[in-house]
Amino acid sequence: MCGDATNWDEEAYRESILREREIQTLTVFRTVWAPSLNPNPECVVVASSDGSIASYSISSCVSKLPIGFCSVRAQRLLPAEPEGFLEGHDGPAYDVKFYGNGEDSLLLSCGDDGKIKGWRWKEFTESEVPITFQGNHMKPVLDLVNPQHKGPWGALSPIPENNAIAVDPQGGSIFSAAGDSCAYCWDVEKGEIKMVFKGHLDYLHCILARASSNQIITGSEDGTARIWDCKSGKCIKVIDPLKDKKLKGLFSCVSCIALDTSESWLACGSGRNLSVWNLPASECISTISNRASIQDVVFDDNQILAVGADPVLNRFDMNGTTLSQIQCAPQSAFSVSLHPSGVTAIGGYGGLVDVISQFGSHLCTFRSHCV
Amino acid sequence: MEDGEIEEGMVVEESSPAPPRKPEKSPYDMLKESKASVEEIVTKILSIKNENKPKSQLREQVTQMFLHFVTLRQANRIILLEEDKVKAETERAKAPVDFTTLQLHNLMYEKSHYLKAIKTCKDFKSKYPDIELVPEDEFLRDAPEEIKGLNLSDDSSHNLMLKRLNYELFQRKELCKLLEKLEQQKKSLLEVIANRKKFLSSLPSHLKSLKKASLPVQNQLGVLHTKKLKQHHLAELLPPPLYVIYSQFMAQKEAFGEDVDLEIIGSMKDAQALARQQANKDNGLPTSIESSRLEDDGPDEEDDGQRRRKRPKRVPSKESIDQAGVYQVHPLKIILHIFDDEASDPRSTKLITLKFEYLLKLNVVCVGIEGSTEGPESNILCNLFPDDTGLDLPHQSAKLFVGDAAMFDEKRISRPYKWAQHLAGIDFLPEVSPLLNSHETSNGETKSDAVISGLALYRQQNRVQTVMQRIRSRKKADLALAEQLDSLMKLKWPSLNCKSVPWASHSPLCSLHSWSSVGSKVNEASSQPVADAEPVQEPMDVDLDGRSGMSKEELEGLREDGELPSLLSAPSVTIDAKLTLLKESSLNHSKQLALTSKSILSPVSKGKSPSFIKRDDDSDFILETDSDLDEPTETETENSASTQCYEIAEKSWVDYCIKEFILLLTRKMDTSGRNMKLEAKVKISMEYPLRPPLFSLNLYSSPLDNSSENDYSEWQNEVRAMEAEVNLHMLKMVPPDVENYTLSHQVYCLAMLFDYYMDEATSSSEKRKSSSVIDVGLCKPVSGKLLARSFRGRDRRKMISWKDMECTIGYPF
Repeated sequence: MCGDATNWDEEAYRESILREREIQTLTVFRTVWAPSLNPNPECVVVASSDGSIASYSISSCVSKLPIGFCSVRAQRLLPAEPEGFLEGHDGPAYDVKFYGNGEDSLLLSCGDDGKIKGWRWKEFTESEVPITFQGNHMKPVLDLVNPQHKGPWGALSPIPENNAIAVDPQGGSIFSAAGDSCAYCWDVEKGEIKMVFKGHLDYLHCILARASSNQIITGSEDGTARIWDCKSGKCIKVIDPLKDKKLKGLFSCVSCIALDTSESWLACGSGRNLSVWNLPASECISTISNRASIQDVVFDDNQILAVGADPVLNRFDMNGTTLSQIQCAPQSAFSVSLHPSGVTAIGGYGGLVDVISQFGSHLCTFRSHCV
Repeated sequence: MEDGEIEEGMVVEESSPAPPRKPEKSPYDMLKESKASVEEIVTKILSIKNENKPKSQLREQVTQMFLHFVTLRQANRIILLEEDKVKAETERAKAPVDFTTLQLHNLMYEKSHYLKAIKTCKDFKSKYPDIELVPEDEFLRDAPEEIKGLNLSDDSSHNLMLKRLNYELFQRKELCKLLEKLEQQKKSLLEVIANRKKFLSSLPSHLKSLKKASLPVQNQLGVLHTKKLKQHHLAELLPPPLYVIYSQFMAQKEAFGEDVDLEIIGSMKDAQALARQQANKDNGLPTSIESSRLEDDGPDEEDDGQRRRKRPKRVPSKESIDQAGVYQVHPLKIILHIFDDEASDPRSTKLITLKFEYLLKLNVVCVGIEGSTEGPESNILCNLFPDDTGLDLPHQSAKLFVGDAAMFDEKRISRPYKWAQHLAGIDFLPEVSPLLNSHETSNGETKSDAVISGLALYRQQNRVQTVMQRIRSRKKADLALAEQLDSLMKLKWPSLNCKSVPWASHSPLCSLHSWSSVGSKVNEASSQPVADAEPVQEPMDVDLDGRSGMSKEELEGLREDGELPSLLSAPSVTIDAKLTLLKESSLNHSKQLALTSKSILSPVSKGKSPSFIKRDDDSDFILETDSDLDEPTETETENSASTQCYEIAEKSWVDYCIKEFILLLTRKMDTSGRNMKLEAKVKISMEYPLRPPLFSLNLYSSPLDNSSENDYSEWQNEVRAMEAEVNLHMLKMVPPDVENYTLSHQVYCLAMLFDYYMDEATSSSEKRKSSSVIDVGLCKPVSGKLLARSFRGRDRRKMISWKDMECTIGYPF
């Protein structure tokens, strides 16, 4: 509490009120499970709209749950204490990915400031700095900035943002989906752009690496997804989920895409529709119409997990049948990520992260830490 | 006799050699000779008798015998004579011996007597060692000659001692005389004092008459000296916490020209009685000084006609005080008038009048707004500082005292706010009346030290200033808010005087369709019994809601033989049920919500104020035409309700006395002819504008539109972004000097955002514009182009650029 009549600090109190609201309007854009040898979920890394990247230990979040029936409700109020914390980006941080496995894996993050930053995961987890002083305690080992475009008389455009990244550890490259309608392929070693993929008409929302065939797949605001060849940098195929549907409504962007483990099935969320494509056959197998626009999608073997602008985690099969719907905490979910053990983490509006067990129960729900 | 015999014998022996006695045989020899001759004759006789000799011989023998007998008799006689002579001789010698013995005895007695007398003399003790005498040298130095010169004794030391004793006597006599003189002086002085006292006691009446005479003059001159004096008198009787308030406000007023007025009201008699009673109780012994002092003050009040008029009234009021029990109020109260400090002419506008009172039993200070009756107006003092609803008692001891009823009686207009306690300095004041401190000096000193340091801290913390500032800004904000609400109630856009913000220059295209109050929750506790009053309806409600959730889940579960439908449904159902419970207990209006959702009306009617009931007919129609619409909207309303619930569960004090309104903005779309509606639930807390109003938004199209694919849950992100902007980000742009008009700014900003989002929705085809430039002077076009964007990021945030007091969509132009 910011004092009373004896020790009144109005400014501090005003700040605290706004800060409280800030935490409530925070958006978690991505939740990623940290790689570990432990088959059980250990640690989830969260990128949120204040540009912070924080890691949370699931076990400590679960153990802090109050005992009792209302555990899920009560937990929501508490901003959880992160294990590690980075003020990674100016503006929102949109995506985090792990590059490589094991000891020397890098934590890659990208954000609205058009940067891709890489942090040593080992250094991050083993940092001795107390959590309250963390934020700027680590220097990124990788710091890539998107190029600016030239306008008339040498005017420079603003730095385009990076909405998503994908990695190809074998090829040593990072792919980024940028706000200037281009996708970039970065060389991790040199920190240079290897390839620029131009062709989308509007900014990119998502990107995927299809390592088996050295391709990348991008989804864009212009309503198409494209498959690109990494060698030539040419677009191989344009997937327009809504082409034959004539359903171009208000929002027809491709906001999320997902590949299954065999890399032959593609799920493509566009507006309120989710279409499933067989890549070898280049055919749309099914289209699912959802209540709200779909914002993230992930394959779970033969099933698809999708979240969107409503507080529900949907599970579909390949034919588009709804298998289950689980109520989740964020009113609008921007990220769903699946741990090999079947535990899912959903992040979204309100700075909320909801961890749902393989059985569909809520393991824990927490509000992420604010800068 | 023996002696005599021996002496005789000796004499005989001595005399034997003497010739005169030589011839004479000693009687003893004669006795012996005769005895022997007798024995010889006897033997002869015997022998005669035995030999039978003739008797003739006997005759001669007898004659012989007789002769010897005569000799024997003679010898006997001589012996007796001799004895008599010795006896007489001894008698003669005894008389001088006896005399001498007697004399000796006399002498011995005399001696012992003298010895005794000597001892008594020796044992005699004089008093003089006990007398504290002037030391010898001092005596020799100081004593007058006449004493020193006297020669009283031969013994010099004795003489000295006598002289010293004399001197002592002399001195003591002198002192006695002095004493007597002083006594006399004292007596005379006492007499003088008595005289003067008499004069003094008669003085007050003189003065009073003088004062009385001066009253008209005072009134004429406008010097309210008497009133001030009376106030000071009353101030002395104030309980310490109120005294601190009074004195500190007075000091503030006098030192810094704080624009306030203070007065003490209440009956002085009661206060005096109370003080006396308290003093007696605390002390155990009657404090005559205090009571006499209080009595002195008494008559002063006596002749005040106004007071006298009030007196009969006082008796019942006292009774009611007694009945109040724990809420017993000190008879004196402080009235504080606060004036607007920013007004140009002094004493122009009275902002607010506060009444401070002190609850004796609970040791708390309560504040209320003077002149206000029950109602929301009295609540503007609550949450003046965070977490201060005034409903729970500020200290533990008071809570213990009240016991089971831990909440403060909410029907009382004045409440024990924490800031009032701070203002009264209850944190450092000892819990005794000031009257006691005056004569309990020993431990009173340490206490007063604590009080002094407490007061120093009090001043250092500027408590009075802080509270004054808060109250003024609260009242002004309240006035400004009332003005804004008034204009909104009349469905007029409130006026904005600040033009330096984007939304001020934007003229809203949407219309302010309605602004209705949901009714301010006076408090949650009071709504609880209301909920309890309908116990039948309540669980049924929850049940139904739960069942509807269940049925929804079951439907989905039935649709496929999926993995865990029944398991999955369980948590969500409980969630639903609990949400409803929370809603019921906390929000009055949300019950309506729950009820409507229970009966599954159309989504449109949900969350609407009763003023829109007429729409229900239309909604039935909707239900027939398109029942699909139900579900998504239902979840959405539930969610918005659920967020409210979280906040309530988190901080109940924040929501205390919160005002809730529903704002409805509508916009008729040119292209589709639809009516878009933006519903905003506005929660205005008492802390406005420090805690800005909280908007929770909901978007839907009017029931006229019946095309199925336009479900506005798709707008979820946009609505949330608008919420974030209105609730948080735009506040940073509102200049601090117009912060009382935050609500208007928020409404304007919301209207502007709504307009732009709607504009965007109509012209979605031309989302991304690029501008190429041709430099006319040069024949070839300038290369390069800049793209204009209106969306950005994964959440598709909308860009609005603001230039030259006008906003356009997209950047960078």
